Amino acid sequence: MATQPVSHQRKRFTLTQDTWAVILALVLAVAVHLGLFKVPW
Amino acid sequence: MATSIAVPQVESSKRSWNFLRLVPGVLLLAAVGYGGKVLEKFLNTYAKSHHWTFPNIEYVLWAIVIGLVISNVATVPKIFQAGIATYEFWLKLGIVLLGSRFVLADILKLGGISLALVVVEISLSLLLMHFLGRAFNLNPKLTSLLAVGSSICGVSAIIAAKGAIDADDEDSAFAIASILALGAIALFSFPLIGHALHLGDTAFGLWSGLGVDNTAEATATGAIYSDAAGRVAVLAKTARNAMIGFVVLAYAVYWAKRGQASEVAHKGAFLWKKFPKFVLGFLLISLLVSVHAFTKDQVASLGNLSKWAFLLTFAGVGLRTNFRQMSKQGLSPFLVGAIGEVIIAALTLGLVFGANRIWGL
Repeated sequence: MATQPVSHQRKRFTLTQDTWAVILALVLAVAVHLGLFKVPW
Repeated sequence: MATSIAVPQVESSKRSWNFLRLVPGVLLLAAVGYGGKVLEKFLNTYAKSHHWTFPNIEYVLWAIVIGLVISNVATVPKIFQAGIATYEFWLKLGIVLLGSRFVLADILKLGGISLALVVVEISLSLLLMHFLGRAFNLNPKLTSLLAVGSSICGVSAIIAAKGAIDADDEDSAFAIASILALGAIALFSFPLIGHALHLGDTAFGLWSGLGVDNTAEATATGAIYSDAAGRVAVLAKTARNAMIGFVVLAYAVYWAKRGQASEVAHKGAFLWKKFPKFVLGFLLISLLVSVHAFTKDQVASLGNLSKWAFLLTFAGVGLRTNFRQMSKQGLSPFLVGAIGEVIIAALTLGLVFGANRIWGL
């Protein structure tokens, strides 16, 4: 029985724009919580 | 061996190049947005010192107008395009951070009202757009795209539906152009109508969230009216966006049954894939605020961060609206969209009045 050739190319894991937005928001929220900066308007 | 090492190096340099490509456009978004904020302050101070009666025009409108002037009078160089396209990312970031300005109880109350109205709005819009599409002899898939775009969330919904129902690029370009052109009209007409009808902030915010199609334009329309209306508009629009998966799935199944689109194998996975994940981020931040994870000052900082992110979005709304390009897209889809939108705007206004009577918004 012939074996299938094993592909060494990994499937690239990519995050969607939505997920990046949530990650950045959480990072900013943690930074604000830790008092690293204040944001004026 | 050498290849396996070389590939990641090429990839990483490519990725950093991709990131650098965004910088000029993002800087332009920041400059236009900040320009709008400075202009609002300058005009108010100037009018006050000269004892003029000048209506307070929000920075939101100035940022959009400056962007519109740049994109329609001059041609925006290609180097800025990639960065300008990030306006949607800033919109999502702004929405997630805006969660800090709602406690969960508010979301449950206002979100519940929004969701109830959204279900009625989506059903009416879908029926109406299909009726108009048939009356104007539009291609059925274009009608489906217009119906999805006008009932849920504009461009994102059209793009999601395009893949799911195997629609043509040309049809989706038509549908997107119509939705964007009508969004631009709503930006200016909704606040005027709202003021004429003396709508309260909550009622106007709900109307913007339900009646304006694209999320960026819905947010901007609310914010032009007032800060509070902007927040409610985001909440109502977010409730509408959350329905995207269900409607797109229904269309995918319908076109697949007719043999004109691929079958949907796993409906649950399909719904999760289409669900806008930033809604979860918005709820999470609101939950953290509700359990007092942040002090009052920190909540203010998060709210301000959200405003800065929206500032870039509003600049992007103006910069990517090009009336010359939109006019090339043909009249029929635009007409169907326009008639549909006017009726939907009237229907949603009626829904908001009804909700106001029942729940006292």
